[in-house]
Amino acid sequence: MNDDPEQLDKHVEDLLQDRKPERTPLPDDDALRARQTAAMLRAAKPGAGLPSKEFLERMQGSIKEWVSEQSARPEPAARPSRRSLLLTGAAGIAAGVAAVLGIERITTATPKTATRPLVDKGSWKPIKALAELPDGTPIAFRSGAIEGFLTRSGNQVTALSAVCTHMGCILNFSKFRDRFECPCHGATFEKDGHPTNYSSPLSSLPSLQVRVEKGEVEVYSV
Amino acid sequence: MREDQQTGAVVFASPGKVVSLPGADAPHGQDHLTWAYQTHVTAIYQYIYSRVGNRPDAEDLTAQVFMKAINGMRSDVSVPELRSWLYRVAQTTLADHWRQYYAEGTGELDEDVTRPPATRENPEAVQRVDSLLATLPESYRRVLELRFLRGYSVRETAQELSLSETNVKVLQFRALNRAGRERGRTT
Repeated sequence: MNDDPEQLDKHVEDLLQDRKPERTPLPDDDALRARQTAAMLRAAKPGAGLPSKEFLERMQGSIKEWVSEQSARPEPAARPSRRSLLLTGAAGIAAGVAAVLGIERITTATPKTATRPLVDKGSWKPIKALAELPDGTPIAFRSGAIEGFLTRSGNQVTALSAVCTHMGCILNFSKFRDRFECPCHGATFEKDGHPTNYSSPLSSLPSLQVRVEKGEVEVYSV
Repeated sequence: MREDQQTGAVVFASPGKVVSLPGADAPHGQDHLTWAYQTHVTAIYQYIYSRVGNRPDAEDLTAQVFMKAINGMRSDVSVPELRSWLYRVAQTTLADHWRQYYAEGTGELDEDVTRPPATRENPEAVQRVDSLLATLPESYRRVLELRFLRGYSVRETAQELSLSETNVKVLQFRALNRAGRERGRTT
């Protein structure tokens, strides 16, 4: 059996309609690659590939269930962990998951003097040269487990977590509307991290510790 | 300041206070683990979506990944470990998916396991697509752009390119095969 344009187009059409394609055994690697490429192209269409609200909600429930089932079981070969970043320990809560939980003090003016740092047992990681940061436009970065935005205003640099406080999607910055926007459910945040809608039940974006060393902007990260 | 906010669907912190999660009846630590997994759902979904290209498969596979990952992981995992573990499980799950449904008897599947996956999956996917399209001859690029990025039907594409619908499908076939080989070469 050979792959042919008609059969491939059926697959393409299914992808374009967001339907599960038919499971037809494929003759060779070329045919498989053509379909994998089609999937990649499909996902590149603006607005494609975001999980639905219903799916996210379903997953939240399932994950909760799976985690409690798993932790109800005795750990196989439970070895004491010497890691400094344990989710179960206080350090872990502060260091890793805080970005998610919003366990953080948000101040509007000087986030870097916040009393409770987002990252506890991390280290300073260089992100970008100060000179490369545009004035007033947040720049996305990723460092270790931290996704964030750096914003320079004059000589001041601030860093915010890029994780939406609604359901954990990664925010984008819209230059046009001058704010952070969530691709999943449309939450929006001001450049200082506050929800744009002040009656919103969402918490502000946690701030990250940031410093400038020899012209290099560094973020305290895990 | 936002201290006065009440808890809605998510968790909120007052300055300086550690807040417990909704329904925090679980053993210590477990809720945090739950949240750590939950916050990766979108990223893993997008990662998978850009490999399978449709919602039903992306949803099924994402759920599978989390079920397997949670089952196979210690509960004292750190966040960076958890992240790379999820991506590893996603990669093997995808490879199984292709093998099971489409590729019985074909050789190794080149899911690009060597590179650490970017978390900003979508911009990354867009970039990969741009550089892939740039390697193709003009007519190939054009048909893929119209079909996939603009979502034209075969008929609309045929009109746009002044071709018959059959020719559009043939052109699309050649373009996808060529692009697939280009990808194989670069990964």
